[in-house]
Amino acid sequence: MSARTALHIIGLIVAAVGAAMGFSAIVAFLYSGPDALPLLAAAAIAVVLGIAANKLTPRPKDLTIRESYLIVTLAWLSAAVFGALPYWFAGVASPLDAFFESISGFTTTGASIFPDPESLPRGILFWRDLSQWLGGMGIIVLVVAVLPFLGVGGMQLFRAEVPGPTPERLQPRIRQTASILWRVYVGLTAAQVILYLVGGMSLYDAVTHAFGTMPTGGFSTRTASIGAFTSPFIQYVTVVFMYLAGVNFALHYRALRGQPRSILEDEEWRFYTLLLLSALAIVLAANLVAGTHSSLEAAFRASAFQVVSIGTTTGFATADYVTWPAVSQVVLFFLMFVGGMAGSTGGGMKTMRMWAALKQGVVELRKHLHPRAVIVTRVGGKVVHEGVMLNILAFMLLFVASFIIGALLLTALGVDLVTAAGASAAAIANIGPGLAGVGPAENYSWMPAVGKIVLSLLMLLGRLEIYTVLVLFHPEFWRR
Amino acid sequence: MRILIVGAGAVGFSLAEHLSEEGHDIVLVDQDPERAARAQDQLDIMTVTGNGASISVLEKAGIEDVDLLAAVTSVDEVNLIACMSAAQYDIPIKIARISNPDYFSEAGRLKSAQQGVDLMINPELECAREAFQLLQSEASTELAFFAGGRVQLMGLRVQPDAPIVGQSLQEVATRVEDRRFLTAAVLRNGETIIPRGDYRFQAGDQIYIIGESTQMPLVLKLAGYPEFKLRRVMIGGGGRTAVYLAKILEEHNVDYTIIESDRARCVKLAELLKKALILHGNATDMELLEMEGVEEIEGFVVLTGSDDTNMLASLLAKSHGVPKVVALINRIDYIPLVSRVGIDAVVSPRISAVNSILRHARGGIVVGVAALRGIDAEVIEFNVQPASDIAGKTLAEIDFPDHSLVGAITRGDEVIVPSGQVKLANGDKVTVLALPDAVKAVEKLFQ
Repeated sequence: MSARTALHIIGLIVAAVGAAMGFSAIVAFLYSGPDALPLLAAAAIAVVLGIAANKLTPRPKDLTIRESYLIVTLAWLSAAVFGALPYWFAGVASPLDAFFESISGFTTTGASIFPDPESLPRGILFWRDLSQWLGGMGIIVLVVAVLPFLGVGGMQLFRAEVPGPTPERLQPRIRQTASILWRVYVGLTAAQVILYLVGGMSLYDAVTHAFGTMPTGGFSTRTASIGAFTSPFIQYVTVVFMYLAGVNFALHYRALRGQPRSILEDEEWRFYTLLLLSALAIVLAANLVAGTHSSLEAAFRASAFQVVSIGTTTGFATADYVTWPAVSQVVLFFLMFVGGMAGSTGGGMKTMRMWAALKQGVVELRKHLHPRAVIVTRVGGKVVHEGVMLNILAFMLLFVASFIIGALLLTALGVDLVTAAGASAAAIANIGPGLAGVGPAENYSWMPAVGKIVLSLLMLLGRLEIYTVLVLFHPEFWRR
Repeated sequence: MRILIVGAGAVGFSLAEHLSEEGHDIVLVDQDPERAARAQDQLDIMTVTGNGASISVLEKAGIEDVDLLAAVTSVDEVNLIACMSAAQYDIPIKIARISNPDYFSEAGRLKSAQQGVDLMINPELECAREAFQLLQSEASTELAFFAGGRVQLMGLRVQPDAPIVGQSLQEVATRVEDRRFLTAAVLRNGETIIPRGDYRFQAGDQIYIIGESTQMPLVLKLAGYPEFKLRRVMIGGGGRTAVYLAKILEEHNVDYTIIESDRARCVKLAELLKKALILHGNATDMELLEMEGVEEIEGFVVLTGSDDTNMLASLLAKSHGVPKVVALINRIDYIPLVSRVGIDAVVSPRISAVNSILRHARGGIVVGVAALRGIDAEVIEFNVQPASDIAGKTLAEIDFPDHSLVGAITRGDEVIVPSGQVKLANGDKVTVLALPDAVKAVEKLFQ
């Protein structure tokens, strides 16, 4: 494993992050904000260092599987580090807070240390949402889509970054697949921007909130999040696009290619949709009984918004669900773990894994009835082989274990139980707002420094789906 | 007729034996010198050793003068290529045995016309269909269909408490109104007879009925069988025939369990069959059968590759009171034993394959053939052709040989029960049962 190989690709990604910060500097300049210079400085540092690292190292011929894991993890960490510079340079956050905000953005978590985003300059806010948008489809996928030389090595990087047990290939070449995914992503974002404009949002608000929606991120430029826009139309548009962001992008691609039925026939999609609808039914019923809303429509809108926002791991808010009945909060807490579909931008464990594990549970029951039976588990008509099933179950175990360790560490730092559990789940599932002290009306600025580091790590673990990061800690990884 | 058979396995060997006895000249090709030599020793045929799909081997076997090519190895691809290689010669009928379920999936099936093949036979599928038909009633030991399914031949055993026991054929005939079936043959004490009016039914007689398919429930009632509803089936052995049978059972919403001894095959089956319960174990494992509720099932079908296992498993199932037990038996010398030990019915891909090919070897006048297993007789379906002497004659005027019987006449959609006064017309399909010594003479009549 050569550090030079890693540097070559990481350099490229850092330079790309720099370019994106440069674009944000232009936005800051247009609004003649005080943040144009800090953004420009951060962009210059990233571009110069990134290109230098890239030029001074040889182009890798081929990537080993170990190099791929290392590159993906380090690339994400580097992107977060360089992406943190603008917050620090602009003087709105300490270095640690800046890093927390940056990694929260790239991992599409949306957990913020800013109590009042509206007080921040517009260029910084734009960068916050742009970093989410880049992280949503994946910075590696972007690089793979643009760079031809990665070839087979690109597939390994792709697999290490893209969520879901087995990424689908839409076209024979990985570069084509990556570019299709990005085009669908850009297209959906543009559609959302247009609908927001129709709903009466300013272009700036429309773009930043679309950048927060499609990657299931959740950063808003407003302190009251989407709740700041009282128009039901805008809130419903957000619900729809959050929902779409949680759908497998391969399905979007097929639907756009004229096979809309392939969505309806998809078993995971049915589970994902049914799960959200059932959660909505429970939350709505509980909220109506508790009388938290003035009208049925308001109750429906707020319940649907929170269920979809948490269920897809976006983390936007129109209501403070911490004040809702306990039943509603438990449903939302459960939804945190499920997340979006495999191949979507959503976080969490993914509905594919949840569905496969449930089916395996039923199979185990049947095996108890017929001890000598040979039964295979099918998901969507396809057989899930034993190796894949074990991978899924082990993933879920590691996911829950990471959540528990995270919550444990937070409580050890003096955070109360419900807040610690909510924060740990919200971080590893890349949601943002948690429960109690980190609910949608609160923020993470008060967290102890160690707690912020723990949560940052959980976010990265969740975004890169555990294995990619954890293999680096296996002793054999470093053995020659 | 000169016939070239590719593959001297179970199917090829039986086919060569049958066709050679019928007076055809047979050339048999097989890669395995031992199998080729064995066939040459036992049958009056010529054998060629080599790959039957290669043109040079086919030429060595005299492909230029062949009237019919039957490629019946157990490998589908070899059979197809043999027919494709033979396409450049002018052979009237090319038959390929294709039995891999992959080529007959719901999504799409291989069609014979595309491959330069005149007929594809699938003995395993035919066998599965036959097994399913046999499962439909508790009584039937043998089934064959003619005239597109309108006419049926059924073999069954007369129960001790049947209403017809002790009655003569004539008495039964007058008692049943609108009768459209007749008793074509009887096996009693190991002897096959074609019954006349004074024949009296006895309990335990193995009788063969030919008639309109819709009348078979009535026949079952007369022979003393209660109504039968198939709900659950167990299948022993998970080969190709089992897969086909499973798919048919799924279509008819019958629950089924497959017991297969090879673990890897179990996994393959579980992947292939969505509604199946696949058990890893032996079909002869009593404990497993009991645990899975063998006492509650209506049908048990054993289709493993071993006749011995199939016999044993059938006996075990029968001893557990399973109403209908069907076994796959390939060795013809085992078949007379079957009914004696209590197994209800037998299927055999080998005999299915031979039946389908025989039909084509006999040429235009023969529409369908079924070689019966329980008795030494054949049921042949003829087409009455305008040029033949018999068109326009009544049955009484035609000189049918002693050991033969006209079972049914199909005219358009109508099934006519034969009597002396019925006049044969051009285009009629006539189903005739004949003992071996009468087959030739009957064929001559229709020529």
